[in-house]
Amino acid sequence: MDIIIVGFGAIGKGVAKVLYEKREYLKKNFEEFRVVAITDSSGAAIDEDGLDLLKAIEVKEKTGKIKNYPEKGKEISSIDVIRNVDADVVVEVTPSNLETGEPAKTHILESFKNKKHVVTANKGPLALCYRELIEEAKKYNVIFRHEASVGGAMPIINLAKETLAGNEILSIRGILNGTTNYILTKMEKEGLDFETALKEAKELGIAETDPTQDIEGLDTAAKIVILANSIMGMNKTIKDVKVKGIKRITPEALFLANKRGYTIKLIGQIKDGYLIVEPMLVPIDSPLNVKGTLNVAMFETDLAKEVVVVGRGAGPIETASAILSDLIHIYQATKR
Amino acid sequence: MITIDIELKDKPGELLRVLTPISKHGANVISVIHSREEKRGGKVPVRIVIDVDDKEKLKNILEDLEKEGAIIKKIDGKDKKVYLDVVVIGHVVDTNIRDTIDRINEIGLVEDLDLIMPHPDKESSAMMRIIIDEDKIEELFYLFEELEKEKGLLFIKSIF
Repeated sequence: MDIIIVGFGAIGKGVAKVLYEKREYLKKNFEEFRVVAITDSSGAAIDEDGLDLLKAIEVKEKTGKIKNYPEKGKEISSIDVIRNVDADVVVEVTPSNLETGEPAKTHILESFKNKKHVVTANKGPLALCYRELIEEAKKYNVIFRHEASVGGAMPIINLAKETLAGNEILSIRGILNGTTNYILTKMEKEGLDFETALKEAKELGIAETDPTQDIEGLDTAAKIVILANSIMGMNKTIKDVKVKGIKRITPEALFLANKRGYTIKLIGQIKDGYLIVEPMLVPIDSPLNVKGTLNVAMFETDLAKEVVVVGRGAGPIETASAILSDLIHIYQATKR
Repeated sequence: MITIDIELKDKPGELLRVLTPISKHGANVISVIHSREEKRGGKVPVRIVIDVDDKEKLKNILEDLEKEGAIIKKIDGKDKKVYLDVVVIGHVVDTNIRDTIDRINEIGLVEDLDLIMPHPDKESSAMMRIIIDEDKIEELFYLFEELEKEKGLLFIKSIF
């Protein structure tokens, strides 16, 4: 199966690394998964016989630009690569933009038009125009998968749609942002105030330099929208979510909550058609009380009742795990 | 026969006060179980089994029980009242805590309040336990939103 990786930041490199490390396994169990092109904002490296992934990672890390890939690198836009390079699947992993969904949205739609299946980790276009993307994919008869867009390695979308198939999902609630969970855990354990815990998370590289989307709850809101649309068949956008962040949580509030047998978590939930993201009191013995950067989701279903899944919500290799499972799904659905 | 689980204050004469309206409405008391050993927060759980023939009568009895200060927890094993724990962050005291509690009490009942004021300039944190009819929770959440806008508070509700 031939793959184009669009976007070569941490996640793109993670995908390349995983495809390299799993090459024998993939060949043995399925077929060769070749990466025929990698693009970033500088240009692309293209080789229809398959790129040397280790070399691509090295070039990107040393020079910051994939167009410096020896001989096969050149200045060309991602769109032109999607149009002109022959491949089965496009892996879209450019940075998420929650305001416009671009450039990912254009990349995805262009891939569909060129009869290429798409796997993405990109929350932007999914949270803004899910319905449109699904309909376009159907129109061009291609597969569109996005397990990595919510909860990183934690299998949530495919678990609900495939493993729990036949169940009616009545509600979903969970912790879908590792940064806020880390901050709250730290505040609770060490009695730190919010600013100090955030500073530490930044120093450790857990929080981004601009953590606004995380701490204000927007990242969780985007993921809740994706779950509502993809699992529960709703037609929501991020504007439909009521959002409160964790900025105002005090160590005293956590102390008082602890005294009564609770902890405080930033919970995203879909219940009775409403999408809400807000800090909530969670009983200490609840399965939702996961620590550190872990993510968790609880489904309430008609047949299986409650199902809980816990996993790593972020990290390039963890996210690549979800992308790889989508790639294998596409292989199995199309090549057998 | 209907089983009613209530909570009474641990004071002499309370049981008699709640039994009176039952007979006043013409219902027959079958049994009364008074579980003193399960006393919690100064309240004693009491289970009353009555024989009552119509719904209207039962409704009047329940209303009178509440008037006499009983908290109805369950009717035939089904929850009537629920506890909701809430953390409030903000200038809880300066924004007239009495008024906040009074307005909550119009819908439910603030049973307990735990407050930490780290510094006069800093925001306080308070923990409240509210006992409320299950079907009034939405109304209470709506009031929280109003209080958040009006007083700049943040209400953190318990998951249930």
